[in-house]
Amino acid sequence: MLEVTDLHIEIEDSLIPETVVHDFDITVSPGEIVGIVGESGSGKSMSAHAIAGLLSRKDMKKKGSIMFEGEELLSMPRSRLRDIQGDDIAVVFQEPMTSLNPVKTIGWQVEEAQRIHGNMSDEELRDAAIRMLRDVEIDEPERVYYKYPHELSGGMRQRVMIAAALICNPKLLIADEPTTALDVTIQAQIIELLKRINKEKGTAILFISHDLGLVRTLCSRVVVMNKGRITESGTVEEVFNHPREEYTKQLISAIPKFRKIAEASPVPDRKPILEVQNVSARYKKITGYFNPGAKQRLVVKNASFTMYEGEIIGLVGESGCGKTTLGKTILGMLDDTDGKIVHYSEMPQMIFQDPYGSLNPTKTVGWILEEPLRIKGGYSEKERSGKAREMLSLVGLDETYMKRKPDALSGGQRQRVCIALALMLGPKLIIADEPVSALDVTVQEQVINLLIKVNRELGVAILFISHDLKVVYELCSRIIVMKSGEIVEQGTDEEIYNNPQHPYTKQLLLSAGYTEVTQPDGI
Amino acid sequence: MKTVFKKLFTFVITVLLVTLFVFIAFELIPGDAATARLGINATPEALSVLREELGLTRPFFVRYFSWLFSFFFGDMGTSYSYGVSVRSMLASKLPITLTLTLMSFVMVVVLSIPIGVITSKYEDRPASKIIDVIGQLTMSIPPFFLGIIVTYVFGMILHLFVPGGFVSYNVNFGKFLGYLVFPSFAIALPKAAMSTKLLKTSILSERKLDYVRTAYSRGNSTTDVMYKHVLKNAIIPVITFLGMTLADIVAGSLVIEQVFSIPGYGRLLITSISNRDYAVVQAIIAIIAMLVIIINLIVDILYQVLDPRLRGN
Repeated sequence: MLEVTDLHIEIEDSLIPETVVHDFDITVSPGEIVGIVGESGSGKSMSAHAIAGLLSRKDMKKKGSIMFEGEELLSMPRSRLRDIQGDDIAVVFQEPMTSLNPVKTIGWQVEEAQRIHGNMSDEELRDAAIRMLRDVEIDEPERVYYKYPHELSGGMRQRVMIAAALICNPKLLIADEPTTALDVTIQAQIIELLKRINKEKGTAILFISHDLGLVRTLCSRVVVMNKGRITESGTVEEVFNHPREEYTKQLISAIPKFRKIAEASPVPDRKPILEVQNVSARYKKITGYFNPGAKQRLVVKNASFTMYEGEIIGLVGESGCGKTTLGKTILGMLDDTDGKIVHYSEMPQMIFQDPYGSLNPTKTVGWILEEPLRIKGGYSEKERSGKAREMLSLVGLDETYMKRKPDALSGGQRQRVCIALALMLGPKLIIADEPVSALDVTVQEQVINLLIKVNRELGVAILFISHDLKVVYELCSRIIVMKSGEIVEQGTDEEIYNNPQHPYTKQLLLSAGYTEVTQPDGI
Repeated sequence: MKTVFKKLFTFVITVLLVTLFVFIAFELIPGDAATARLGINATPEALSVLREELGLTRPFFVRYFSWLFSFFFGDMGTSYSYGVSVRSMLASKLPITLTLTLMSFVMVVVLSIPIGVITSKYEDRPASKIIDVIGQLTMSIPPFFLGIIVTYVFGMILHLFVPGGFVSYNVNFGKFLGYLVFPSFAIALPKAAMSTKLLKTSILSERKLDYVRTAYSRGNSTTDVMYKHVLKNAIIPVITFLGMTLADIVAGSLVIEQVFSIPGYGRLLITSISNRDYAVVQAIIAIIAMLVIIINLIVDILYQVLDPRLRGN
């Protein structure tokens, strides 16, 4: 059905033309699910967008051939391509919030492709859209039809995207990281939905993802990409069990797979470093300038736990469960809180999720690192830069990075700088808020190893906030599970993973694919 | 209902403050209605008699609140200099200023929206760049100077209108409109250039967003993507600007009325200030303040119509 051969994509910038995809080949047969995996910047999305006819920028040169149902997509006129887009080939994108038009109703957007390609009356369109919404398991589709994207949850939005893509019953569905922006339990539901659609409607799916675990469960064949080239392709069986290329092996071994990177460090005397007692936090919900009677929303409810010196605790839960708010409350970054927080150490520090937004782009790494010392005062220039160099080398970056600006660093390097920055004042407690979520798997592994090193060598306790149970398993010795602002369960890793008490913990583990049996050899 | 009440509250407070400031300003500047009417050579006795007659000897707050009370019931008082009812003076001039303002505003919208859409579509063509430069130039010309240029080009060279030959609406409505086209154009041009630029930038940044890619993936043509998806999103910031512009046009028309000798609120306001004619000045300022607030209210409502994210549940 789809046969891509020798696809080259070149970006003709004003400076040097850069080929971003080389010799890309892929075939998809009717009813098949094929995966493309690779890290960010590997060219996987670019290739998929080329197939969907979405690389129309004048400065992008495409060579090779994309045959779809016996027609050459690359050379056909735009008008013919538009007939195929949305009708025979449909796309689901990564970020369902931004990929939907914010000022159009859900119904309008689900109907759109049918309005363009079919000739249905308004009532028929509406009926078809509501049927489709029901088909992707949206409750009360008649009501949702009149809603706007911002009124729906992330998972609902992605279902709407899928409904809108499937409305014309396309032969090929291109799913570009469709679950990356979603919580783990929602992720599992969307994957189930895609499987069901494939089975019931026979829609072929081209599934693009950085998540090898997902590709393995969903796809029959897989293409591995790195730096714009295909490194390996074959059946899922072949590629995952008998990888031939070094890069593929490395990628597979970097998949978080419920495996301990390090055993819990021995704690000789359990001296507390932090006590959280009945802490609640609320946000004022601002309902508008003319509504000063703002409603309050309780984000953290009555949380209590104790943290000991030198330990790594995992704080897990889905987005919106209040885990970040609890982290901020502990550091005193919020005003409206109740309860008692006792710190037994000075200057606890925080590391944030997004290493791109956390560093001032106009300053050098050296300047950024020295800032806490400058603010604290009492250090000479030499002492400051000496300390900055020391921390840089600890996180594995050499002195030349002192003069660079954040823009010149990769995501992983930036997160290393953020860790070095958190260590500048010699804290005994670090709160790391999703520090690896924005990073590729191979880089993720390196940053986790670095955090373990910091913990071991400097004895820094880490409160590791994450939605990813696999990552948490790798380095945490105790786990706290949060749901809707409440701590529903806490215990040692052994207790939480192998003997979960709360139904929510069980559900999380199930969605993450954890069973005690799979524990030894992974995924 | 609550929102309506709050808006009404803001409305009243703003009118109160603006008129109070005008009253205070008149207290501070030298001279009053009596000296303005009798001239500098008037005897102190004559002045005090007239002051008594006009009610100027009463304390400041008594004068202010008595004015406010009458105004609230539609009585704007009597002009000190002309001795006629302010209400009838303003009523006869209202159609002139209102027509000038609305005509300018329509020109801003009619010029800027199509030009903004077209220049964003052909963003990298030379013609689009030339329009940008012209726009930049237009923005930097002060309105009164633009008024002089318009008078010179359209009046003296092209003879499309007779400068100074204003015809009132009750004499010949067609000629009245024909004359106002040119001052409106002088007011509208810089605003239209700004609005064009804003719309163009807004469209260009909207076009980079993810939902545009989704729209293409469903088989929309470039034209459909623009009119069915991008424009409604891109127009939102422009609406705010147009709201502010409308308020600004009211102020701008006061100046342009001088340049084109149009007997509207602008000229009346300026003569009334030099005559220390409180009653007229107060009424005009209060009316303009109310107009501006009403315009803002309309913008707020439009905003909620256009952007569902701003609607309350």
